[in-house]
Amino acid sequence: MTMDTFFILCLGWAGIFLPTALGAIGSIIGCARAGQAACGALLDVETGYGRLVGASALPSSQTIYGIVVTMQLNRVVTPEAAPGLFAIGLLVSLALLFSAILQGGCCASAINATKTKPEVFGLAIAPAAIVEGFAVFAFIFGMIVGGGIPGGAAG
Amino acid sequence: MKRMRMLSATEYYMLVASLPHMPRTFLVERVPISQSRLAERLKLLSPSDADVVSQVQRFLQWDRQPTARSDQEIQQEYDRLMQSIKNLLVRRIVEYRMDVRTITSALRRRRLGMTAPTGVGRWVDHIRKNWDQDNFRIVRDHPWVPLVCKSLSTNDPLEVERLLLQATWAEWTNLADQYHFTFESVLLYLSRWEIVDRWTRLNESQGRNRFDILLKEALGEQQHANW
Repeated sequence: MTMDTFFILCLGWAGIFLPTALGAIGSIIGCARAGQAACGALLDVETGYGRLVGASALPSSQTIYGIVVTMQLNRVVTPEAAPGLFAIGLLVSLALLFSAILQGGCCASAINATKTKPEVFGLAIAPAAIVEGFAVFAFIFGMIVGGGIPGGAAG
Repeated sequence: MKRMRMLSATEYYMLVASLPHMPRTFLVERVPISQSRLAERLKLLSPSDADVVSQVQRFLQWDRQPTARSDQEIQQEYDRLMQSIKNLLVRRIVEYRMDVRTITSALRRRRLGMTAPTGVGRWVDHIRKNWDQDNFRIVRDHPWVPLVCKSLSTNDPLEVERLLLQATWAEWTNLADQYHFTFESVLLYLSRWEIVDRWTRLNESQGRNRFDILLKEALGEQQHANW
C-alpha cells in the first residue's frame, strides 16, 4: 500500500465517523447553552420548569442523525469508496454541527422569552424547529447519496 | 486563553436567562429585580468579569451622586476612568453618559449667560466652536437637545431629568438589541437597571414630597378650622 492510498483510506474512515463525532460536539455545545439558559430561567419562574428543561434537550437529535448516517456509510473502505465517504461524511457532519450549536441558541432565546410570557412558548420554539428541519434535510439526503457509494448495500 | 473564553462564554446563558425581562421603557413603578437579588445573580460571573461590572457600577454610582463638582474634578475622574477601563463597551457607556452631562451642562451655562464649559468627552470642542449656534448644531446626533432646552426654559427639572434618562436609555437599549447571551448584554442590563432604579427613586421622593405638601395643607386647614 502506498502512502497516497493509505491517506485516501484514512479520509474514508474519517468520513464514516465524522457525522457522529461532529454531530455529538454540536449537541454538546447546543444542549449546554440551552440547558444553562433553562437553569437560569428556573431561578426566575415559579412554574413551567418541565418545558424549559425539555426545550434545552432539542439539540441532542443531531447526534442521533449522525449515528444513523455513520451506520449508513459504514462499509469496507476501499480507495474507490473513500473520497465519496469523506465528502458526504464531512458535509453532513458540518451541517449537523452548526445546526446543533445554533439550535441551542434558538432554544436559549425561546426559554428566555417563555420565562416572561409563558403563552408564547409554542411560537418561541418554532425557530428551533425550523433549524431542526434543515438538519433533517442534510441527514436524509446524506443517507440517500451515501447509499450510492461503492461498497454499500445499494452501491 | 481563547479556549477558556469559549468555555466561559456559556456562563452568560445562565446569568442572562436568570435576569427578569427588562421593560422597553424605564417609566415603570419598580425595578425588575431588587438590588440584593441582582447582586446575588452577579455572583455567577467570573472574577475578571466581576471586576469590569464593578467598574461600571462604580461609574454609575459616581454619576448619580448629586454633589456639586468642579469641572477639574470631573475631568480628573473621567481621565482616571478612561485609563482604567479596557472593555470597549464600558468605555462607550461611560463616554455617552459623559457626553450627555457635558451637553446638559453647556445648555445650562448658556442659559445663565456663562461661558462655554471645559467639560469632558467628544463634544467639548464642537460645543465651543458652535457656542452661539442654535442647539450647538448637535441635534442630528442628540435629538433630545431641543426638548431639554424647552424644559429648562420652563423650569421643569423633573422633565429635564426624564429627557436625559430617556436619551441614555434609548442609546443603551439600541446597543442591548445587538447582544444576546453575552457579557455585553449583562453590562447593558445593569446600565439600564440603574436608570430604572434612579427614576423609580425619583418618583418615590417626588411622591413623598407631594404627600408632605398635602399633609401640611391638610394640617393647616385643620388648624385654621380649629382656630
